[in-house]
Order: sequence, then structure tokens, then C-alpha cells
Amino acid sequence: MKQKADRILVGGFVSILFLMSLAFFLMPKERFSELENRTLQATPQLTWDNLISKTFADQAESFVTDHFPFRADWVWTKSTMEQLRLQQENNGIFRGKDGYLFEKFAEPDYAKLQQYVEAVKQFADSHPDASMTFMLAPTSIGMYPERLPWKAPNYSEAKVNDFIADHLKDGLSFMDGFRFLSPHASEQIYYKTDHHWTTLGAYYAYIAYAEKMGWEPMSQEEFQITNVSESFLGSYHTRSQFSGLTPDTIQTYIPKHPVQTEMYIADTDKTFSNLYDDSFLEKKDQYSYFLGGVHALMTLKSPLDPQAVTTEKLLVVKDSYAHSFLPFLTQHVPEIHVIDIRYYNGSISDYMAQNGIKDVLMLFNTATFVDNGEILKIDD
Amino acid sequence: MVFSSLLFLFLFLPAVLLLYYCSPWRIKNLILFLASLVFYAWGEPVYIVIMLISTVTDFIFGLLLSNSKRSPVWRKTIVVSSVIVNLGLLSYFKYADFLINNVNELLGTQIPLTELALPIGISFYTFQSMSYIIDVYRGTAKAQRNWIDFGTFVALFPQLVAGPIVQYNTIAEQLRKRSVSIEMFAEGVRRFIIGLAKKVLLANNIGLLWDTISSSDAGSLPVLTAWLGIIAFAFQIYFDFSGYSDMAIGLGLMFGFRFNENFNKPYTAQSITDFWRRWHISLSSWFRDYVYIPLGGNRRGLGIQLRNILIVWLLTGIWHGASWNFLLWGLYFGVILIFEKWWGLKLLGQSPRWVRHVYALILILIGWVLFAFDELPKVGHYLQAMVGFTGQPLWDSNTMYFTYTNAILLVVLIIASVSRKKLSTTNNNEGKSSLLNVAWCGILFFLSVSYLVDATFNPFLYFRF
Repeated sequence: MKQKADRILVGGFVSILFLMSLAFFLMPKERFSELENRTLQATPQLTWDNLISKTFADQAESFVTDHFPFRADWVWTKSTMEQLRLQQENNGIFRGKDGYLFEKFAEPDYAKLQQYVEAVKQFADSHPDASMTFMLAPTSIGMYPERLPWKAPNYSEAKVNDFIADHLKDGLSFMDGFRFLSPHASEQIYYKTDHHWTTLGAYYAYIAYAEKMGWEPMSQEEFQITNVSESFLGSYHTRSQFSGLTPDTIQTYIPKHPVQTEMYIADTDKTFSNLYDDSFLEKKDQYSYFLGGVHALMTLKSPLDPQAVTTEKLLVVKDSYAHSFLPFLTQHVPEIHVIDIRYYNGSISDYMAQNGIKDVLMLFNTATFVDNGEILKIDD
Repeated sequence: MVFSSLLFLFLFLPAVLLLYYCSPWRIKNLILFLASLVFYAWGEPVYIVIMLISTVTDFIFGLLLSNSKRSPVWRKTIVVSSVIVNLGLLSYFKYADFLINNVNELLGTQIPLTELALPIGISFYTFQSMSYIIDVYRGTAKAQRNWIDFGTFVALFPQLVAGPIVQYNTIAEQLRKRSVSIEMFAEGVRRFIIGLAKKVLLANNIGLLWDTISSSDAGSLPVLTAWLGIIAFAFQIYFDFSGYSDMAIGLGLMFGFRFNENFNKPYTAQSITDFWRRWHISLSSWFRDYVYIPLGGNRRGLGIQLRNILIVWLLTGIWHGASWNFLLWGLYFGVILIFEKWWGLKLLGQSPRWVRHVYALILILIGWVLFAFDELPKVGHYLQAMVGFTGQPLWDSNTMYFTYTNAILLVVLIIASVSRKKLSTTNNNEGKSSLLNVAWCGILFFLSVSYLVDATFNPFLYFRF
């Protein structure tokens, strides 16, 4: 019996090694991973320089792991195992109640945060003639701490927003997302599996901003609301790989009397007549459906009735929370300039001067803002 | 390369097994030697030269020593030269910057640092080479005349980068002649899988808890979180290191080598003396055989013995890393061992078993605090958190979260710490459970691979974007 077991063990072990090795070589290699949303490591090049600098070894290592047979299934197995052992998180994502996933939010580095806030303040102070608004939206963990797993560590985003508000409120007008989102907390204002707000969440932000700007906000009845996807498993899912989740629904709010907005992407020098890119609905990262994802600089031009317009030009400095929010603004502002500060390397002040911009909206979510040193570029 | 990587498991290992088992006996050592060089060069494409220098010099020194007609002075010169070469390499790469830093601090000088990275495994292979020369000098081993066999001994990839430190005399015979039976290979597979699971499933996961706790400000830690943290570290380091040793021993068996055991349920120790007979055995025996005993051991009076114990433990400490906390860690154990030798063990002998166990564990855990932080102030802060000098409560909601989310893992860790026999060695006489054992190995291997794949899971997210 013992001998037989030994034979099975040796045979099994050796054949698994060889079979996996064979499968690795024979299976077709993907170039891009939908699941991970990135380009995979290409076949490493064996050259003397690569060998000596260890590049070859590192790339070969990534090549094997990136193209490992049945990669997604292995990752799923680990995630399932972690849940079985009562672990409430995987790769930094909590599995919360009611199907919500949350990204951990820890106490920010206040010294750094202070610097970021100072940079924004400087920026506002150096443009006394411009009207500036800073909108800071909480992420879902800030809105729903009660939906976290029992006793899960969490730092209050409300506290962080208050800190930022205290330091900013003199220089510009500060809009705390908690103010205009909390009354609607019981509605679907955040995706459960992604780190963005839903179009409904963006809509409430739009209402608040419109009131602040003195525009007449459009009511929900004035929009044709469509579910464009009911299979959205967002970035929180991508990272955690939790199984058994209900996918999110992506909605669009198309005005019943639409304007023909032209979207110009400066990065690629291309113009589109549609704010939405359907092709992303077939992919993993469906949120890029809005505006076709992240661009360093773009402009949205809409032919509006000059009589009804109070704000001619608006500059939006933002993170991706703006993507589902901007379409609403095209009903009120004929010319919107959009800069993603993480990718735009020019001077924003120069840009404002060149384009004669007097109105600025800065729109970030709390998690991005506290963790992104790129904001320091704002005052360059 | 490390054993716990997909590239090693599914490309390197099958390739080496295939080459090794398809080649005739006379080139088997050559295959292993070359494979070991590839294994090493994979992680250290440049520093491999240093390993080769150490190997070649000791091979030549060994040959020089084998000529017994030479005078004792000549022979002594050879041994001393070998020790100087090996310790010289080790010191230059491992301790130079530590020394320079302290000299600069003390004298206010500005000597520039070497800023060299530590070559992988240098602490292990230099010790192994030295053991060879000293064995040959003492006559407990014959000089190796075959350079391939000698190279295989030094570079043998299973134990090259993290031990166990193989003393030449325990393996000399096997280099010349060895065979592998199905039983032996199966034992190797079992040991390897157990080791892999210890590292990937246990050590890495409990390590996450330690990372979380140790990275928060020690002044804000409740007492129980601090204890939970250091317990997590104790488990992490044991399962990481002993897992690596198990994998080494297992791989050795697959190629016909029997290495000595390196761990023996260290956390069941009843005293610190007992602990050090169970922890990293190959290192303690090395220091005993090549430092403590040559210095006179315990035979030349109390004073000399005290001195010897302190020397050995300062060396053991600094061997683990070039910084003050490791030195202090070694000294800490040296002092405890002296205490136990003269009074402690007598006192302990009269107390109940559980008291001895708790005594040993608490001292071990305090030792790990010294070991874990390479800045001494941090050691102080953490110890204060453990005794509650920070004014924090006994526990808070984080403590509860950490505990319940790791409860199952902790139970498994405790069981695995006390029952090494059941988990990791062959059930030689338990024929009926062996099929079950195969299934168990299969599950562990499957899960380990899934954790390994996940560790490389690296989604690019429009996160923070």
C-alpha cells in the first residue's frame, strides 16, 4: 500500500510538473489581459546586456506568470480559499454587506495632504479674477462605513473632507460631496463593484453644481434614462476577484432635447461626435464608456443658445469621477476644457490665459486626492 | 531564483529532473553543478563570480592541505588563509557599510559607503566552504580531488541560497555515490510540498498581518494587538525559514542527498537552551563545531566558557544581518543561555511544564521584537506597546478584526508548529493512511500554486484615476 501510494505521488507530481510546463509552451499567448486590464509581458529577448542586467531573468519570470495556464482559475481559487478562512478582504478590497465591495481607506499622511491643499490654495490665490470651485466627492467606503465587514479598520473620509474644507474655504468655494450625496445615500449612487459613482450619483453632483453656478438644473424627467450595461464588474472586482457578485448596471442620461456635442481629444488629435464609446461595454473596464476613458486634455463644444448661456467657458481639472458627470454640463456650457492633472504636464495658468477661461471646477474623489502627488503640478 | 516561484516549479525543476535522470551516472554531478550555476546566476548574474572565487580557492586550499608531508605551520597557514578569504568576502559585502557607518558616526569622518548589494546566499556558502577546509585540516574529511564534485557541494542549488548549512563531512560520501529509490523520491516530494505550503500558504499570509501591525505607529497599538503582531511575526519567520529548509531537504532527496534536519518544532521548547537545539540547527552546530569547541568550549574553566558563549552568540547575532539590533539579539540570547546554564535550568526543572513553556515562548517573542526592527528606537517603542506603557487600551476593534479574520489561520499555525511529525515526515509505518497522505499533498500543492499565481496577479486599474 505504502509503495503504491509512493508511486502515485511521484508519478503524479512529476507528470503535473511536465504537463503544466507543456501546457505553458503550447497554449496560445494572449497579448492583453482583459481581467487585469493591462498588456502582458512579451517573450523576453536573450541578449548579453539583458542577461547581465538581470532584465532577462525578470522578464522571463513575468512571462511565465503572465501566461501561466488557467491563470484566472488559479486566482479565483485563491480568492475563494481566502473567503473560506473568514478573511474579509483580498488584495486590499473588503467584501462588504449588500454586495458592496470597498477599497481600504487608511489615515492619510496629513503633512502631505497639507501640501496638496496648499498647492490648490496657491492656484486659487494667483487667479483672483477667476471663479473657482473645488468639489470633493467621497468614495463608497466614506458614504457607507456601516456596510463594512464587522470591526473592519476604516478611517473616516468625512474627517478628511472636513480637514480639506477648513484649509480651502477662504480661497475658493468648496463643495463637500457628503452634503449633496448623503441625502440620497439610500439610492444607487455608487457602483457596488467599482470605485466610481454611478450616473445617478453624478446627476446629484450636477444638481448641486448647477445651483451653485446659478443654472437651472434639468429634472430627471427631461432625460431619457437607459441601461446600457447590466454586466459591469468594475475595478474592485478586478482587484479582489471575489466570486458570486451581482454585476452593476451602467446608465446613461440622454436629454430628450439633445445638443450635438463635439468631443476633441488633444492627446490623439481626434474629434468625436459622441460622448460615449460603446466599444468599452464589451470589455472589462466598462466605465471607460464615458468619454472613452482617461485623456490628458480634451474640449467639449456644444452649440447652445447664446441667450440661455451664463458661463461661456469652463475648465475642469479632474479625476475620472468627472467622466460620467461632464455630459450633464454640456447642457449649460458651450465650451468645456478638461484637464487630467495626472497626465497633463503643461502650465494650467498659461492654458487659462491662452483660452480666456474665468471659471474653474476642480473635481476629485477623496481617495484620489489624498494619494496623488500630481496635484502639486496645479500651481506650476 | 527561489523555489516558491512558478518559473522554478514548472520550468527549471522539470528540466533539471529530466536532464539528471536521463544522463549517465558519471555526468550527474556535472549536471547538478551546471544547473546550480544557472539557478544562482538567474538571481545574481554578476556576483556569481564571487561564489566561484570562493569555490576555486577552497578547492585549491583543500588540495594543498591534502599533502600530509607538509609542516603543521604550513597547514595552519592554509587554513587561516581560507578563513581570511571567506570571511574577507563576507565582511566586505555584508559588514563594510555597517562598519563605515559606525566609524563615521563615532569619529565624525566622511568615509564613503560601498553601497554594495549583498550577494544572495553568501552567508551560507562561505560557511559551507570553511567547514570543508577545517574538516580536511582536522582530518575528519578527505580533500576532494574532483572539482566537479567539490563545485556541486558548494553550489548545490537546493541548499545554496538559504541553507541548511551542509557540513562537508556529512555529505562527502553521497557526492561520490548515491542512489534514489521510489520511496526516497516520494519522501522528497512530500517534504518539498510541505515546505512550499508552509512558505506560501502559512508564512506569507500571516506575514500580511505582521506587515499591517508593524507598519502602524507603535504608540497607537493596544497591548493585545502588539502581542498578536509579534506572534504573527514569530509564525511568519518560522514557517518561512523552515518551509525553505523543508523544500531544500525535499529537493535534496529527489537527487539522492540526505541533508540534516534544520528545525525540530522550536516553539515547543521548554527553555531557551532547548529552543536553540531546535531552531536553525545547522547554524548552531556550525558555531559549536567551528567556534565554540575550538575556543576551548567548557573545558577551560568558568571564565573562558563565559567568554566563549558570549563570542559565539555575538557572532550568531551579527551573522543574521549587519546592524545593531542583530548584535543585541545575539547578546540577548547569550545572556539568557548563561543564566540558564548556571541557575535557570535548575529553577525551571522544579516548575510545571506549562510554566517552562510559557517562560520560553515569552523570551522568544521578546527576542523576535529585537530581530524584527533594525532601528533600536522602534524596538523600544514596540516593547513598550507590549507592556502597555503607551497608555493604550488592552484591545480595540482592530484587534478583534485582526483576530477573527485570522482565527482559522492561527489555529492551523499552532497545530502545524507542534505536530511537525504528522505534517512533514513520511508516515513510514502508517500504510493505511498513505493514500490519504497523497491526496493531502495534492491539495496542498494545488492551493500553493493558486496562491503563487495570485501573488503575481497584478491588475492595472483605472484606480486612483
